[in-house]
Amino acid sequence: MPLPPRAADFVLRFALALVLFYASADKLLHPQDFAAIVKGYHVLPGSLVNPVAVWLPWLELLLGLCLVSGYWCEGAATLTAGLFAVFWLLLIVSWARGIDVTCGCFSTKPAEPGAETTPMLFYIGRDAVLLGLALFTAWVRLRVAGEPEA
Amino acid sequence: MRLVPRIIGQSLGIVALSALFAFAVNAVRPDGLPLAQAAKTSSGAAPSAVPPAQASGEIALKDAALLFLSGRAVFLDARSQYEFELGHIQGALSLPTRNFASDFQDLKPLLSGKDAVIAYCDGESCPLSQALAKHLRDAGITNVYVLKNGWSLWQAEKLPVAQGQAAPASKAAPAPKPAPAAKVAPASKVAAQVAAKAALAPAKPPAPQMSKAPQMSKDDAKAKGPAKGQEKLCTDCDN
Repeated sequence: MPLPPRAADFVLRFALALVLFYASADKLLHPQDFAAIVKGYHVLPGSLVNPVAVWLPWLELLLGLCLVSGYWCEGAATLTAGLFAVFWLLLIVSWARGIDVTCGCFSTKPAEPGAETTPMLFYIGRDAVLLGLALFTAWVRLRVAGEPEA
Repeated sequence: MRLVPRIIGQSLGIVALSALFAFAVNAVRPDGLPLAQAAKTSSGAAPSAVPPAQASGEIALKDAALLFLSGRAVFLDARSQYEFELGHIQGALSLPTRNFASDFQDLKPLLSGKDAVIAYCDGESCPLSQALAKHLRDAGITNVYVLKNGWSLWQAEKLPVAQGQAAPASKAAPAPKPAPAAKVAPASKVAAQVAAKAALAPAKPPAPQMSKAPQMSKDDAKAKGPAKGQEKLCTDCDN
């Protein structure tokens, strides 16, 4: 029996919020390390690296809070999908440019010296799954929001 | 409320609110990132490979050689004028410690605009460079380094040297002749790298007090080995 749209909406939003909370935690605790990761992508001018590194974890946290609480939910779901799309494109662009970046998606820890590094294709695949989740969540949320109130 | 304007409005609200929280918290947390400082490095220039001054104020030979190569350092020879004439780091200025008071003002303009002012003498325990560095710091020069045992190490690595008649700064005539780049015979790894790059490096302005800067031959360098240099220095160190 398929989930009713409102239940599916809640489950999906909750799942996406968990991903966002988890993603923001380490970045909030270690802003210096995250700034180094942002710089490693070589897409931002130096003057924007630190502001973005400071702001991005808070954006993820607030998006998670909105998704869980139900406030500004349509905007949060759409923005999350857009954010994940940007991350996914960034990884693809970095991979195409031959830049082996530390993803920085969920952890700011650098790879252990001598340890095998995670291949970029893994990050790209994982982000594609997360992007799919975010897009589906946004689609369900917008459908629910578009329905007339019962 | 229609969906699209609602989504746009909410998204803008989330972006603004998150930015507000982010910068407010960053401003008060002790490990907050310096936002303005990042703008300072926006030129994209990588930080210098030469590490900042150690607590002792000494600089390693390879770092001094790197600064020499890129023309970012001025070398000050703390030994006597006689020792300087026998041989010195190419482009170095003679500033014997005992003449500091009289010569410093003439040399001061040449020290500005450089990343490092490197004082050197000869011998592991030679106090002249440290004394000169102290004088310089007291005179307000902040980027002063000491290249310990500088002259011996510089020669041992076959780095560019010059010799010849020289006058202390107070008597120096303004650049009588451009000093030809000293040729070096690389005998070590560091020297080979520096020499290879030196050949590509743009010509540096000649030191004002050098009238000639011929190459110090291998034999000369051997004859003026560290032991001899230190021996001579001892007469100077007592002053």
